[in-house]
Amino acid sequence: MRWSFPSFDRRQRSGLALAAPTAVFLVIFFVVPAAVLLVYSFWISRSFQITPTLTLSNYLRALGNAGMWLSMWNGVWIGAWTAVFSVALSFPVAWYIAYRTRSNAILYAVLLSWFSSYLVRIYAWRTILGTSGLINSTLMQLGMIDQPLSFLIFSRTAVIVTLVHLFVPFTLLLLLSALRNVRTDYLEAARDLGASWRQSFLRVVVPMAYKGIVGSFMFTFILAAGDFISPQLLGGREGVTTGLLISNQFRQTGNWSFGAALAFILLGVFLFAYFLVAQSMRLGRLSPGLRFHPTLPTQEKA
Amino acid sequence: MVLRTYVWLYLLFLFGPLAVITLFAFHSSPALSFPFEGFSLKWFRAILDDPQFLAALKNSTIVAVAASVLTGILGTLAALALPRLPKRSLATFNMLTFAPIALPGLFLGIALLALFERLGIYRSLWTVTIAHTLFTLPFFIETVRSRVAYFDASLEEAARDLGATPVQTFRLVTLPILFPTLMGGMLLSFALSFDEVVITVFVVGEKNTLPFYILSMMRRTVNPTINAASVLAMGLSLASLLLGGLFFLMQRRRAQARRAENE
Repeated sequence: MRWSFPSFDRRQRSGLALAAPTAVFLVIFFVVPAAVLLVYSFWISRSFQITPTLTLSNYLRALGNAGMWLSMWNGVWIGAWTAVFSVALSFPVAWYIAYRTRSNAILYAVLLSWFSSYLVRIYAWRTILGTSGLINSTLMQLGMIDQPLSFLIFSRTAVIVTLVHLFVPFTLLLLLSALRNVRTDYLEAARDLGASWRQSFLRVVVPMAYKGIVGSFMFTFILAAGDFISPQLLGGREGVTTGLLISNQFRQTGNWSFGAALAFILLGVFLFAYFLVAQSMRLGRLSPGLRFHPTLPTQEKA
Repeated sequence: MVLRTYVWLYLLFLFGPLAVITLFAFHSSPALSFPFEGFSLKWFRAILDDPQFLAALKNSTIVAVAASVLTGILGTLAALALPRLPKRSLATFNMLTFAPIALPGLFLGIALLALFERLGIYRSLWTVTIAHTLFTLPFFIETVRSRVAYFDASLEEAARDLGATPVQTFRLVTLPILFPTLMGGMLLSFALSFDEVVITVFVVGEKNTLPFYILSMMRRTVNPTINAASVLAMGLSLASLLLGGLFFLMQRRRAQARRAENE
């Protein structure tokens, strides 16, 4: 058997040299730490002390614990609803920016809000939804309620509202770049061939923007389900998520191995969710079949 | 028309809460609720007299400058590499550079914490800087990617043919063309680092960063000094962002002017 070494020309070699520092940085501070974490998840630890004994006990303990399942369900619930609302709320705006206006003002405004402080926006919702917050105090002054509405804050709903606010600009940007690939010619062609608005939307727009729609949904889902600061500040007892449990293991309890195992279980759940979403899009015939736009890079011969 | 109204409502949803926070930073009473009793700057005075706040502000600035410079250096090299890499290596490189922001910050935070602990590295502003660079570098590369894709490689080749060394080519041809994009990317990195808290909570040492300090204020109490601190933090990070946006606009103007000249 003969091995053939890839031979690179001068330009490609300079490319590899230029990429090297970033690649090394990311391997040292991203790939290696992830590997350390994976190894830790099979070791034993207690109050910040780690013993290198190979064991599955962290995973078994996590999977055998009802509280863990509940927190996982909370995280998935919060992530899924955040992603649903973010995509649904942003889609019309992305549509407007892509097809109805030539000005970039709205896009810039959305970008601006995305980069306005993460923490400040969480704090803003705490001020608005809190027990003596804006909504409650206003309603009480108007005499519409006698006692503060307690469900407004420290609930999963409060976390979802906050996360939607946090992630909606991000979802919009991803949706927008997806819609920019769907040229108006295709829509007009569909209309000319007699497609109804609904048909051209489901049979043209969604399949062509498929990657962007699934991508924006999944990214929002993952980032929202993995966020732990909003559940910590707004979730109360009802809103404890796996992300929050992981952070507690690392910052307070000090059982890092257990925390690491939880993190990898959460990662598995994310991958499973991605598989589910992609499959259901395919079953719903909303994903692109081969006959759509033959210039897509995915259809190039490998 | 309906759509347009909806877009306005959407923007209201985005900016309303921020407006509320800003408004109450100027409230003369400590109450964070209506009726609004009048304007006062006392919460800003209180927060600017807080030595811990000022120290955190200074630390955050140091970290954000360091992280954006480090990001700028690594990211520029990476951006130059993109059009040159062989196809297969490019696919791997793209995955590697995007992966850190495809995961929740929580994962990066705990992984880095485990690494630093393993290597016996004390947590300090250095560890925070590394963590922030890990987070800002992917954003930087994604921002400059499209600009680099349209870069006219023949300009570099011409310089080389005329006898310029690689360093000269970079300094005299490549850098001037890409400069606004790179500057914009660095200011974006500054803003992202200045605001980062999710990864920071795991790798921060004794010296606080500003968002971390605001988070600890939020745990202790709810009063308008937090609003004042928030408004200041937000203002600084937006200012660097607007500056970055200006660079992007400048670059686009220049590109358009050049195109007009060529036609």
